[in-house]
Amino acid sequence: MNRLEIFLSLTSLLFQILLCGFVFVRKAHRILPLFVTFVYVVLASTICLFLTSQYFGFKSSLLYYVFWAALFLFVASRSLAIAELCRYGLRKYRGIWALVWRALTALSMLLVAHAAISAWGQPNGIAIYWTSFARDFALASLIIIAVLFLFLNYYGLALDDLPKLVALGICFTCAVDAIGNTILLNSFKGYLFPWFLESQKALWPSMEALVRRVDDVWSAVHLIAFMISIGIWCYALRKPLVQPTESPALLPAHIYGEMSPAINTHLATFNQRLAELLKP
Amino acid sequence: MNDTYAIILFAVALCGILLWLLSKGQKSSGKAASSLDPSGIEGLPAAKHYAYFPQIRQALSRADSDYLLKNAPPGVAKRALRERRAIARHFLQGLHEDFSNLARLGRIIAALSPEVSHKQEATRLILSVNFRFLYVLVWLRLAAGTLPLHQLEILTGLVGRIAARMDEAMTEISALSAGQFAGKINA
Repeated sequence: MNRLEIFLSLTSLLFQILLCGFVFVRKAHRILPLFVTFVYVVLASTICLFLTSQYFGFKSSLLYYVFWAALFLFVASRSLAIAELCRYGLRKYRGIWALVWRALTALSMLLVAHAAISAWGQPNGIAIYWTSFARDFALASLIIIAVLFLFLNYYGLALDDLPKLVALGICFTCAVDAIGNTILLNSFKGYLFPWFLESQKALWPSMEALVRRVDDVWSAVHLIAFMISIGIWCYALRKPLVQPTESPALLPAHIYGEMSPAINTHLATFNQRLAELLKP
Repeated sequence: MNDTYAIILFAVALCGILLWLLSKGQKSSGKAASSLDPSGIEGLPAAKHYAYFPQIRQALSRADSDYLLKNAPPGVAKRALRERRAIARHFLQGLHEDFSNLARLGRIIAALSPEVSHKQEATRLILSVNFRFLYVLVWLRLAAGTLPLHQLEILTGLVGRIAARMDEAMTEISALSAGQFAGKINA
């Protein structure tokens, strides 16, 4: 670890402690329990990584596996936080939620399967496999959040400030992860590929400095981006949280059954007439 | 390397869309958050262009054009016809607004319903996309002067009838949200 990385790691740890403090004081678990779990998981992973590096050294293989395990936990808990955002945004509207959750679940499964299949085909090396998986997962998270907001906009629904800013922070980390991991993966599969091949062991000493440099740059970018996201979440939690608004009064079920087909018929007639205008 | 650029561009585009959606949501939500009031239906501007249908119908009528071409000097008639096309374009925009209001009414009812049919929702989405496409084509033809104005007259009559029925339906839904619903909704 160079000085910049040590500074960034310590600052990031401070930011995470600050965020945990905010989350605890504002009792955010009452509104977004899975996001709070994500925040605590991130802090626990950081502390665990720090302790492992202190006791076993930076070059130990244990640290290597702890790092990838922490990354898995980070990605998994972030995905749960995203699922919670989807549920929080739409659960009050029972009909819409019943319609949307299936679509979002199907889309998530498709994207996760794609991420797994895409990573499976990668050459040997946990680093390449997980970088590929993390990249695809970040892209999948971005797509899911974008679809959620499209649904919200389409039906004219709005999110409270806290979930909106939580979503913004998650989007920012996901975007940086997707872009950074893509570049990193490209390096791993390109000019750094001999680093993962036993047959190229002779090249390793000359490559080590280059691999460390790439790793340092990506770590610095990732930490800075994550601190920006933490900053956004701290900003969202700066004031006491407002209790979520009550569910709106729903219309009787038969109204939709009668009105919706009628409206669609009228809309179809509009289209029919417009199409007639275009006929020669 | 091409894949790398494609993924980076895709991620940046997704972020851009998300930021746009977030800012759009902020503007439209105003002070309301995570809520949608059934009484909001009352505030929906329903087919306001309907009120001008008689004048528009008169202005777009073939008889009116024929009269102008026969009796007015050629320059004046040409200018009048050009201005009528501009009015027709504005009117088409109004029709677009009326269509959007009708579609929005459908979405509000869906959001406030305990059960929603995915078939109806998908149909409405497809119809809205189709309308946008057709609207652009009609607008372009109108701007190019290749669409006879009197054809638009047929559409105005249709919108008028739909607007009147929707006004009735919206009044009844508003009454329902206030606990006063008694009648049958569909005409």
